[in-house]
Amino acid sequence: MDAVRTTISGFTRYRFRTGQLSFVLHRLTGLGTLLFLMVHILDTSTVYFFPQLYEHAIRLYRSTPLMIGEIILVFCVIFHGVNGARIALFDLFSPKWWRVESQNKTALTTLAVAIVLWLPAAFLMGRNLILNNF
Amino acid sequence: MAEIAEQVLITPGSRVESTAWKWMRYSGLLLIPLAWGHVLLQDVLVGVHSINLDYVAMRWASLGWRVYDFLLLAFAFAHGVNGLRQVITDYIPSDEWMKRISWALLVFWLILSTIGAIAIVGGVRQV
Repeated sequence: MDAVRTTISGFTRYRFRTGQLSFVLHRLTGLGTLLFLMVHILDTSTVYFFPQLYEHAIRLYRSTPLMIGEIILVFCVIFHGVNGARIALFDLFSPKWWRVESQNKTALTTLAVAIVLWLPAAFLMGRNLILNNF
Repeated sequence: MAEIAEQVLITPGSRVESTAWKWMRYSGLLLIPLAWGHVLLQDVLVGVHSINLDYVAMRWASLGWRVYDFLLLAFAFAHGVNGLRQVITDYIPSDEWMKRISWALLVFWLILSTIGAIAIVGGVRQV
């Protein structure tokens, strides 16, 4: 019972800071990209195994919901890359940069860089969506 | 305290896990140009409305693009499945079960990678 109480009170009291935001976003964007990647390997493989099915798969990707999904996917790939670069560079070349005091700033910078890179891509894909589907 | 800290730093733990840890970082850095280049070209510049069997056949007519796609398949999917394994590790306390899940993921990775690799080597079959 004590363990349950600790878990629940710990959960509600846990302060959701920016470092944790990075952690959660990194996982969600990674898992989301992986989910798409599994489907994407299979749909592209149809060009060899079942060529007729490829055109069908592409037709699905051209639908409005999946094109919106594509714009979200591109955000996932960009954020995961920017934040992943931070993790890899800090871990491999300069672990001393992992400082508690600077985490808020680097986490927010990462998110800002990802959004700035994503906006032009989202604009071009949104334009494509509107020109083709409406 | 200092002794404990030293022990933590020295104990190498599992060799496989530390290799996987390093590998995630190196493959991740490589995937930034590979995956971003792929996304920029196919999703942003070309767009799904211009992609069809002929487009894939044209692209794969050049060996360079086939090699590019093969590298992307190899690195991105392995990076993704190992990442999934790391996430699952956080929720499965049992080493025994984690071992089984790891093997299952390895088999899953091998099957899907083989399917993808066959398609890249085989190319577009004319309907």
